[in-house]
Amino acid sequence: MSEFIQLIVSGLSTGSIYALAAVGFTLLWQASQTINFAQGEFVMVPAFFVLVLTVKMGLPVWLAMPLAVILAVLILGALFKRLIVEPMFRHGTIPLVIATIALGILLKEMVKEFYSPLGQPFPSLFPQTVLKIGNASISVPDIANLIIAMGTIFALQLFLSGTRTGRSMQATAQNPDVAQILGVDIKRMVLYTFLINGALAAIASILITPIYLAKFSNGETLGLVAFIAAIVGGFNQIRGALVGGLLLGVIDNLSAAYFSSEYRQALPMLLLIVIILVRPQGLLGTAEGRTV
Amino acid sequence: MSDTVLSVRNISKSFGGIHAVNDVSFDVGKGEVLGLIGPNGSGKSTLFNCVLGQLPADAGEVQIHGQRVGQMRASRLNKLGVGRTFQQLSVFPQMSVLDNIILAGQEHHGSMASRLFGPSDAGLTAEADRMIQFFKLEHLRDEMAGSLSYGQQKLVDAAMAFMAGPSLVLLDEPAGGVNLTMLANLKDRLETYNREHGTTFVVIEHNMEFVMTLCTRIIVLAEGAIIAEGTPDEIRSNQQVIDAYLGG
Repeated sequence: MSEFIQLIVSGLSTGSIYALAAVGFTLLWQASQTINFAQGEFVMVPAFFVLVLTVKMGLPVWLAMPLAVILAVLILGALFKRLIVEPMFRHGTIPLVIATIALGILLKEMVKEFYSPLGQPFPSLFPQTVLKIGNASISVPDIANLIIAMGTIFALQLFLSGTRTGRSMQATAQNPDVAQILGVDIKRMVLYTFLINGALAAIASILITPIYLAKFSNGETLGLVAFIAAIVGGFNQIRGALVGGLLLGVIDNLSAAYFSSEYRQALPMLLLIVIILVRPQGLLGTAEGRTV
Repeated sequence: MSDTVLSVRNISKSFGGIHAVNDVSFDVGKGEVLGLIGPNGSGKSTLFNCVLGQLPADAGEVQIHGQRVGQMRASRLNKLGVGRTFQQLSVFPQMSVLDNIILAGQEHHGSMASRLFGPSDAGLTAEADRMIQFFKLEHLRDEMAGSLSYGQQKLVDAAMAFMAGPSLVLLDEPAGGVNLTMLANLKDRLETYNREHGTTFVVIEHNMEFVMTLCTRIIVLAEGAIIAEGTPDEIRSNQQVIDAYLGG
């Protein structure tokens, strides 16, 4: 039983980080119909911002991490929207999807070429100690990651539902034409969405990289799992992406422990297929119709 | 006319060789309820879209409160005091009725900082509740707008159009798809609002009974041009109008 609790907590911790990236997927989709297949690389890159700032420039970690978040907001948020999404969007969804796939490859190869092809140790924000709760041993980083990731998503949800700007962002996502007619500056709201996605990716990066080391290929699995989490939970709901992320984290841990670690990467795909067949709008998503 | 709210001057719009709107001019005064009617393809929607700047007119100009609107952005038009309802449903389905109505008014209030850090309702809950009460939507206040019936969503749409206190409201087929009970309620609310606030309405509608009883003046379009203009009684007995509708 204690092992089961450990696996659940650890799974929820990893899953909550997947959820950060998955929420970014859903936000971009809702606000601008952008499916960002470079999302995994968006989570990989901020870790290297931290490494450049600390290892190459000698800044302390406490300063480098917030700076990395700001860089991610500017580069992976504003610059991504300006240089990739805006020029490609007028050509339709498919060219934009291909552009984001290309961007993912470019980011990966740049990190490999200009930093290192090898995994790099990454500073953890939390002591690598273990707490004894009953018979279960729960690691402090697991608990801290879970609290920070869930707190971030909770704060985002509060912002969206509890501020005027959040309401305008929701309106832009649900019906941009009408929102604009009501006076909402929809271009600004879409920009905010991209900036938030940059911040979410950076937070996910800082939380997850100490677990896997910083490596150019980290985004491959992360991007895929976050995408699946968003679809499983419901692509048009933040709480859906949250549930999808947590579910995948827990399934991943439990399957590796009780089933087979060889098949752990296949299980998310299996879950994806089942969801698409049985409930294509996702566990918490709502069916959407679009005029084409 | 000093109290002219909307002035349409010599508007023309063609698509290829088809003259959708051909040299149309009219004025609408303060507090007037003008109906724009005509058979399918008569140019009503094109004219409506030219007035709202959603389609660039080939010729002519539109002024609202003496300001030339041209291709003014929709958000600027809204700030100029122009509200509108939509032919298609236009509520935000995953927001409550209250949030929909607050949203329709919030862009006119407060600074940039208050948008981020000020009260989430922009101080508009009381006003939104008054609007909800006015349109008799109290029992649906906290329901998600997407879960309401078509007619109820049309009422929410109307409440949203009035939330920013517009001086001119353009109603695009407000009666379309609405059942008779709901329609009577909508008409009663529009008449009351017009009487109490002196707001000017321009209505495009196919439901003749609705137009004839709501509007004070009617313009009839056929093949892109005005063929008749007058009170509902005058329009009812106009032979040209009867011919246009019956294809005579």
